[in-house]
Amino acid sequence: MILIISTCKEQLSEFEFIRPIALLIENHNTIHCSNVKPADIKPADKIIIAGTALKDFDYLKEDFSWLKDCEKPVLGICAGMQVIAKEFGVELEDFVTIGPQKVEVTAENKLAKDSFNAYFLHTKTGTGDFKVLATSNGKPCMIKHNEKEIYGCIFHPEVMNEEIIRGFVQ
Amino acid sequence: MKLGVLYSGGKDSTLALIKAQQYHEIACLVTVVSLNKESYMFHTPNIDMTLLQSQAMGIPLVRAVTKGEKEAELEDLKKAIAEAVKKYNIEGIVTGAVLSTYQASRVQRICYELGLWCFNPLWLKNQVELLHEVLQKGIKAIISGVFAEPLDKSYLGAAIDTPMIERLAKISSTHHINPAGEGGEIETTVLDAPIFKKKITVTKHSTTYDNYSGLFAIEDAKLEDKQRNSNGISSVKNQRFST
Repeated sequence: MILIISTCKEQLSEFEFIRPIALLIENHNTIHCSNVKPADIKPADKIIIAGTALKDFDYLKEDFSWLKDCEKPVLGICAGMQVIAKEFGVELEDFVTIGPQKVEVTAENKLAKDSFNAYFLHTKTGTGDFKVLATSNGKPCMIKHNEKEIYGCIFHPEVMNEEIIRGFVQ
Repeated sequence: MKLGVLYSGGKDSTLALIKAQQYHEIACLVTVVSLNKESYMFHTPNIDMTLLQSQAMGIPLVRAVTKGEKEAELEDLKKAIAEAVKKYNIEGIVTGAVLSTYQASRVQRICYELGLWCFNPLWLKNQVELLHEVLQKGIKAIISGVFAEPLDKSYLGAAIDTPMIERLAKISSTHHINPAGEGGEIETTVLDAPIFKKKITVTKHSTTYDNYSGLFAIEDAKLEDKQRNSNGISSVKNQRFST
């Protein structure tokens, strides 16, 4: 089972940021980030922390401390990447990208290769000491924890790069 | 929160409105009329029907006209949304975007610049499911434009109903068209929905068609009461509309 964690303050945003991901994954549970308990994480094989609206920042106030002890593969998308970075001590910076941009993979990894176009929708980012897997306009846009199977993706792969989500889930 | 809906009068923006209304107050509709028939953002047949649709729903309309020059039309959209903010205190915009990253990212950018929420409740929705949801929600839409092979004249003015959805799904598998018209293959006009207090009746129209491109142009339409009187006949009000 894949646990999809919503970072959306507004339920109306979940049609846009949760449902398209859920459609790609046959066996999944969805939960809001404010309600995550050990009992939700335990049965999950992998975890996806999904993105939210540009105007939404409430997720930055939520408790993601469980990530530090998490031994399961995690993929953070947009807001999800931001909370991963923040939880591991990275300071987020304001950086706005809206719309499709070219992505260049810079380090071999399980999720993406070569170059491709991807859909961006973010106003903050942060990568710290994470390993950079891909860049866009010279800026890191896919990262991985140096030891754990924890990935961050600042663009929205559910829009133009479903294979990244399918590859993570497999 | 109070929201404005970018409203073209078609099935998608009507469905997006209905979904958004389950969570928030819809304070106004925002329509941009493009004088450029090639506009990527706004060109829609029967766009002036939004005046009547706004009356039918009892939701005010903020309407702007643009020459439709590529980047200037985005400025015109931004001005219209800013006017909606000023007049109706909206905090966000709802769109019926499904697939177009071109349109969606431009509206996202305008909302970002104006400090507004942006909601796209149909984003990446399966198009056949979208058509079924249009029916399930009681939206009565007709096809008001066709722009791709093999869509012939028989589609113009036809209702989006179950047989039509089956027909569109079938040709989408053989002709690489989007069944809900997300590539601009089909345009629709909504005549009634549960949120309409009155329904729209088309009293005069003209059709033009040539080489898989055609329009069902509504030239005259009126609002009618939806509740039937004791004789079972809809009473007609004097709210008429002419293009």
